[in-house]
Amino acid sequence: MAVFSSTTKKQKSLRRGASWSFGGVDKPLLVLIGCLGLILTSLAGLDTGLTGLALVGLGLLLGMTFMGFQYGFASGWRRFLETGDASALSLHFLLAALCALIFIPVSAAGLGPSGSLAPVSVSLFIGALMFGTGMQLANGCGSGVLFSFAGGSGKMIVALPFFVFGSVLGSIILPHVLAWGSLGQVEIGGGLSGTGKLAVNLVLLLGTAVFFRWLSARRGFQINRTLLVATLLIAVLCWGVFWVSNHPWGVTFGFTLWGAKIASAAGVPIEEFVFWTWPGPHRALTHSVFSDTSSLMNFAMIIGAGLTAALTGAFAKSAWPNARQIQAAALGGVLMGIGARLSFGCNIGAFLAGTASGSLHGWIWFALALAGSVLGIRLRAKFGF
Amino acid sequence: MNTRQTKAKISPRLIYITFLLVLFAVAISDHLMSPALSNLGAPTELGNACAPCGAPCVDAKPKVN
Repeated sequence: MAVFSSTTKKQKSLRRGASWSFGGVDKPLLVLIGCLGLILTSLAGLDTGLTGLALVGLGLLLGMTFMGFQYGFASGWRRFLETGDASALSLHFLLAALCALIFIPVSAAGLGPSGSLAPVSVSLFIGALMFGTGMQLANGCGSGVLFSFAGGSGKMIVALPFFVFGSVLGSIILPHVLAWGSLGQVEIGGGLSGTGKLAVNLVLLLGTAVFFRWLSARRGFQINRTLLVATLLIAVLCWGVFWVSNHPWGVTFGFTLWGAKIASAAGVPIEEFVFWTWPGPHRALTHSVFSDTSSLMNFAMIIGAGLTAALTGAFAKSAWPNARQIQAAALGGVLMGIGARLSFGCNIGAFLAGTASGSLHGWIWFALALAGSVLGIRLRAKFGF
Repeated sequence: MNTRQTKAKISPRLIYITFLLVLFAVAISDHLMSPALSNLGAPTELGNACAPCGAPCVDAKPKVN
């Protein structure tokens, strides 16, 4: 019988791109994060009942999955641009196709939940380009910043507050640029029946996934099976969020809300800015941070990822960033924050939710964020990494 | 090495725990000062109809200056 030492197990799991190795439990951190999780669960349950509890559960599981499997967007896109390994992109489009399987028919049937549609406008192009650049500088997207922060990454401890700050700036800018060149919301297969729309979007999403898979194989790269399992798990959790919250999962609006609440507490009349007079944001601003789906799930995701990091002994394993890396993380955070608001979300809220809902803006977001990543990778060199 | 010098001065663990505690303390304070407390026992709906992606609501066109 083969018996692996803990080091061998760890090396194996790292090769697979996952950190599900229970090397050393960080008990004090586990207790601290566990207590915060209990408080969050209690308050969400009291405020929003079973819906809140379900969303906390889904957020916890998403945090655990992202942290445990080290599932990221920024690094996968960078690998494609630097080495030609498109296997991560293939999995991202597979994830979108799996989400579309539920999002499009349920929206079309009018069962309650509806997909994420946003306008195609100049702000989308600029915002996605900015987001892609920032994502490479900070080395994490919306979800990546959250779970890496929870894992004790020094860069993300810097990037997160700057992301929050940038997204408040973006919320102030958005209403003034929203109408520029706007075509309104464009649905792919919008004139077709629900089945027809699903078929068209599945062909596009799966076709793109297969194309990137083929591109990877041609260059000698294989799909990581562990990340394939993570993709399936995340898809199931996204279906759950869609069903419970009536909307696809989004991350960055929660950051914007946190920043607006802090600005408001500091005396900034944030409620007078146009964005915060719109029904959704206005309601979020005047209610608890645990009453907004995106914000509540962000807190739960931090708890889930933090628990995983504490359980696996993966907490704060990377060295504290140097001054240049801190500057890059701060700049990346601001660019992602502004970009997320101008382009209606991040890799989750705009790319994944948009493409899986059959919205053209998701595809444009992907193309522009990938172009922004090229710029971001060049800027990384200027910052010395 | 530069990294070692920085490591000696700052403990990422302490910074993280402080940041996490401040984040949750602020969030819990916001929750306790919000209308949520007056609704105890009568859970409210989550306000997510159009907010998560930050796009304006379809049925309520925004006022653009």
